[in-house]
Amino acid sequence: MKAIYTLQNIQLSRGTTFTLQVERLELMGGGIYALSGPNGAGKSTLLGVMAMLMLPDSGALHFAGKMVCGKISERKKLRRQITLVEQTPYMFEGNVFQNLAFGLRLRGTRGNQQRRLIVQALEDVGLGGFDGRNVRELSRGETQRVALARALVLRPKVLLLDEPTVNIDDKRVSAFEELLIKLSQQGMTIVFSTHDPDQPGRLGAEVIRLREGWVEDAPERGLSPA
Amino acid sequence: MEFISSSLHAALVLILAFDSEVVQAIWTSLYTSGCAIVLAAIFGIPGGLLIGLNSFQGKRLVITGLNTLMALPTVVVGLVVYGMLSRQGPLGDWGLLFTPLAMIIGQTILATPIVANYTLAAVNGADQRIITTAMTLGAGALQSALQLLKEVRFGIMAAVIAGFGRVIAEVGVAMMLGGNIRGYTRTMTTSIALETSKGEFAFGLALGLVLMTVALLVNLFLNLLQQR
Repeated sequence: MKAIYTLQNIQLSRGTTFTLQVERLELMGGGIYALSGPNGAGKSTLLGVMAMLMLPDSGALHFAGKMVCGKISERKKLRRQITLVEQTPYMFEGNVFQNLAFGLRLRGTRGNQQRRLIVQALEDVGLGGFDGRNVRELSRGETQRVALARALVLRPKVLLLDEPTVNIDDKRVSAFEELLIKLSQQGMTIVFSTHDPDQPGRLGAEVIRLREGWVEDAPERGLSPA
Repeated sequence: MEFISSSLHAALVLILAFDSEVVQAIWTSLYTSGCAIVLAAIFGIPGGLLIGLNSFQGKRLVITGLNTLMALPTVVVGLVVYGMLSRQGPLGDWGLLFTPLAMIIGQTILATPIVANYTLAAVNGADQRIITTAMTLGAGALQSALQLLKEVRFGIMAAVIAGFGRVIAEVGVAMMLGGNIRGYTRTMTTSIALETSKGEFAFGLALGLVLMTVALLVNLFLNLLQQR
């Protein structure tokens, strides 16, 4: 397996009190990684860096062997291989179909192929037939699953999930976890943050533990000793 | 009271008879204000968006400047543009003074800060996740900004309506830069001012009614769009 992410001496300050500091972290392509740690540990910030939404103040971030630089067009190209589903996802005004079509349209996928991919993605998350629903009529759990479908429809190399099961009822969690395992087996790299101590075990995920902005513990090949 | 009711009756007769002078004034008002608001939207919407989305030194100063410009008296704008366009002014050779184009320039200056400020307020009040969501789905900076505009379109519409309301109702710019030339630069507001001072209250009232109707129609249109 090749490294999909390599983070080296990353520092990112947010506000006056918080700094994310990652000495070295390497994530392998196709793996499942769980970010754990208390609130404010830096899980969402690390996901934001990996999603290339935030540029580190210093250090080097490599994605799929390429250095992530400040050049906007380069970053956009790399970012299109990654999708992030936020803890409380935002739904664009309109219906579920329009939300799923957004990213596909940007990639030039239209017409029948677009429809086919959207229908498939909605079925994957157990929301077949929801394409015409107005997003304002969705429950929180349904919104979370539509956001996941909106990410999956793009078939990204990397799927980043910020506490993905926090709004999903217990009955749906196991189906959701099975889907993540299936995606990983298909070669997708999955990184998710969680507060559930058992979830990494259920998914066979490698745990990256964060505390106060520091990577406290990570899989051996993922973290070089200081 | 009889004076008001008889004037109102005369005003309605003028409107329903499509009096040519009334029609001309309505057309000039709608044409100049329409052109001005289109130009103000072209400058003001991207301007408000850029200010709202970016952090830069002097941002507070720019916002304060915009707020000040919103309250700019129309005669001051008229005066400044008059100075630029008059024969002795730097743009005097263009021969624009007392033309509809001069009025459009002045009204654009009046409306742009309003459109920019309302756009800025809409952008500042928008959900911060719109941009990040668009970006995580593969949008670039421009595509994300366009998606944001789409999400706050009612705020943007309000910006345009407010700007339109300001320019269609103003007198100072139209009077100073248009010169209130009958059949050419005479607008509803300059007609109202002139005809009322001449004692033609019914004529002024007719145009006043039309002005209010235009305002009502514009707001009805906005409401209809919001309900869709």
